[in-house]
Amino acid sequence: MKVFPDDLLYNREHTWVRVEGDLATIGITDYAQEKLGEVLSLELPETDDSVERDEPFGAIESAKGVFELISPVSGEVISVNDDITDDIGIINSDPHDTGWMIVVEMNDPEELDDLLDSGEYHDFVLREAGDG
Amino acid sequence: MAIDEAIFRFHQHEDMPPTLRFYGWKFPTVSLGYFQDVEKEVDIEACRRKNIPVVRRPTGGKAVLHEGDVTYAVVGRDSNPLFPADILGTYRVISRCIAGGLALLGIEAEMEGNSRAPNGDSLKASCFSSPSRYELLVKNRKICGSAQVRSHGIFLQHGSILMEFNPFKTCDVMLPRSGDYERQILRMKQSVTSVSEHTDRAVDVGMVCRALMTGFEKTLGIELVKGELSPEEEEIKAVLMTHKYMNERWNMEGGCRAWI
Repeated sequence: MKVFPDDLLYNREHTWVRVEGDLATIGITDYAQEKLGEVLSLELPETDDSVERDEPFGAIESAKGVFELISPVSGEVISVNDDITDDIGIINSDPHDTGWMIVVEMNDPEELDDLLDSGEYHDFVLREAGDG
Repeated sequence: MAIDEAIFRFHQHEDMPPTLRFYGWKFPTVSLGYFQDVEKEVDIEACRRKNIPVVRRPTGGKAVLHEGDVTYAVVGRDSNPLFPADILGTYRVISRCIAGGLALLGIEAEMEGNSRAPNGDSLKASCFSSPSRYELLVKNRKICGSAQVRSHGIFLQHGSILMEFNPFKTCDVMLPRSGDYERQILRMKQSVTSVSEHTDRAVDVGMVCRALMTGFEKTLGIELVKGELSPEEEEIKAVLMTHKYMNERWNMEGGCRAWI
């Protein structure tokens, strides 16, 4: 089973957040990248764009289909990871670290209260994988 | 396209049964996959000359020239026990439903369990020239291509079943083109097939839809109930149609910005 770092928070749409003050670094989880398979295309917002909690901030495509990337927090994008747009394979190889996607300056850090910690996300993934 | 996305979006907020929808196209139309670069994959000038509109799908995959085909859309929750939790499992189940329907018309379609090597001269942009796992083949030629989008635990799967296939028309609007046109046409013929090639009697779109509905009912052990869009879905559809699917920017460029 995957190990999900303790210093991250997670939403049920398989994105993670690393919080430093008002800044939230966002990416997709190792579970998500494994479920998708090899990432073929990626679309991210641009710096200064706004993102809304529970709304798509981008999309990702593998041979299995298109998957909307759902933002765990609301705010303004202050940085986008150009390294993954140049080498998209990083999302598969290192999703929790160098595969980060965007940094958002949060509007409302209280939105973090609704996210899952690593243990809760681990249990959520186990339940999801068991469905069907 | 707006109707399919409206159903998909509404499912994200309401716990409702899966939806199956069939439709055709009033005019020959090219549909593009979500991420496709229109300039690299479709001859826009040729489409304009021939009055062929281009619409971008919310689903992935490659471009399709729709002309007399039966298009289907399935929207469901990925936790619904009718569909396996894994993504390919959903393709597999829906392919079984479609294969069951085609069998009623005397067409023996098989799932593509392991991707065929693509034909080098085929149009890489065209959906039907690029089989992927769990798509449907008849005698190793593709008869049904499918693609998905997923969000908030809901999937929308699009697919297209060809009634007839004209490789010349497809080659006229798809890019890139290889230098050897005749060879390209031959490869397309070898890769793609249609309902009309495998039925002795005249089979029309209505017969195909009825057979496919039976295929879904028998395979899934369900009874389909005819429905209409809810007022909420109608409202979402109207907004999507105006702001997204009739918007040149979405159709030509795509993108994840808020369209509604």
